[in-house]
Amino acid sequence: VTALEDAAAKTGRPDLPAPASEDVFSLLVQSVDDYAIFVLDPEGRVASWNAGAQRLKGYRAEEIVGEHFSKFYPAEDAAAGKPAAELEAALRDGRAYDQGWRVRKDGTLFWADVVVTAMHDETGRFRGFAKVTRDLTERKRAEEDRLRLARAEAELRLRDEFLMIASHELRTPLGALRFNLASLDLLRKREQSGDSRLERAIETAKNQVRRLSTLVDRLLDVSRISTGRLTLVFEPVEVVALVRQVAADFHASAVHEGSTIDLVLPEGPVQARWDALRIEQTLGNLLSNAIKYGRGNPIRIELAADDVLARITIADAGIGIAPDVIERIFERFERAVAARDYAGLGLGLYIARHLVAAHDGRIEVESEPGRGTTFVLEIPLAGPARTERSEEA
Amino acid sequence: VPNRPHPILLVDDDPEIRSALTDLLTIAGYGVLEAANGQEALDLLGRPDEPLPCLIVLDIMMPILDGWEFRRRQIADPRLASIPVLVVTADTTAQRRPEARSVQSFLMKPADPDALLQAIGRYC
Repeated sequence: VTALEDAAAKTGRPDLPAPASEDVFSLLVQSVDDYAIFVLDPEGRVASWNAGAQRLKGYRAEEIVGEHFSKFYPAEDAAAGKPAAELEAALRDGRAYDQGWRVRKDGTLFWADVVVTAMHDETGRFRGFAKVTRDLTERKRAEEDRLRLARAEAELRLRDEFLMIASHELRTPLGALRFNLASLDLLRKREQSGDSRLERAIETAKNQVRRLSTLVDRLLDVSRISTGRLTLVFEPVEVVALVRQVAADFHASAVHEGSTIDLVLPEGPVQARWDALRIEQTLGNLLSNAIKYGRGNPIRIELAADDVLARITIADAGIGIAPDVIERIFERFERAVAARDYAGLGLGLYIARHLVAAHDGRIEVESEPGRGTTFVLEIPLAGPARTERSEEA
Repeated sequence: VPNRPHPILLVDDDPEIRSALTDLLTIAGYGVLEAANGQEALDLLGRPDEPLPCLIVLDIMMPILDGWEFRRRQIADPRLASIPVLVVTADTTAQRRPEARSVQSFLMKPADPDALLQAIGRYC
């Protein structure tokens, strides 16, 4: 009987090529670093140890040989009888596979991929178990990260869909409410009621409904942006007139806050190909911010244009924006001030940035707390280079 | 309150919107006919005893017969073809569709009541 045949017989697998010699084979097992390869005696106590086992589990051979292998399991798994079940399965079926969390010597967990094989000698006597363990923690973590990301993305999609549906649904009753208020207003004027409280109540209600409508429209815009359903219509527009119009629209509310709006405009007309309504909305948003946070100081709107670009500056001398929040003000639901001090959802600048970007333009902000804030928009007069538009789904 | 011989035909599938707008228009002195979709509107217009409306205020997204299909059939009927149409819709792309060229006026939903009354005043 040669050493090879002897070794083959000892593995119980004469079909496999036998190792060169028992010494070399033992050396191989000893030195494998990527796999923990060790033997358990029939009762489940550790009977051998290799380099991989030491690296994975943290024990040196002299610390662990003789200890029961249930030590490698988290306490609740050990208490639930998992170690014994694994050995029983290996005895019954010849081998058992398992994946699960195991405990290192230092108490940290790793995700183990385990094969347990029941070993019998040439006489058929059961001698113990061979255990091969791989550390798949990184793969497991990567898999979990992927799952988490997919779940988060699904939740985001769901939220955006919800926003879309909710804002659509909110618009209908608001629309009806506006008609009702207009009816009340007409009736009041006709009845000539002397009670000024009625007029005030109706005016207040109209303003509140207008405010609600604006909020709902913004929510709808955000959901359109995040679901890729924002649709723009690029048409010829004269920018000087557009800026004048926005300033005129906000004249009353600026006066109400004690601010003036100073316009610096070029002599001649500035022709562009933009979505006029969306740029008007963007400028209106920036201007209403300037009025809201401007502390009653003058607000300056400046328009300058060359052959390619229009540059629109909206500057206030108000409370300004702290440096630590200025990076985030274009994000969704972000605001530069405490919500309790100034109302709003923090969506306006997020929408503004997207509308300007949809024109291939950009929006920048400079601010100094206590000194004021300046927004600068640069928008190509020709609109976006790629003019095919995303259709509403 | 002026009394006008020709009513406004209001076509919208939302009953709340319809009744709120009907109230507003009647208070403003208009007669109003209501239909919940394009088919109901065609049925109303088919009655020989009714005076034809001075304007059709038309929603687009409606069940059974939508606004565009209604407009197509209206134009195909010589008796009805000349009635002007004011589209009031929440569909932001509606105004860019080829069918949009076949209507006289557009307003986005939710429509501003003053703007709506002003637009209606141009036809009735």
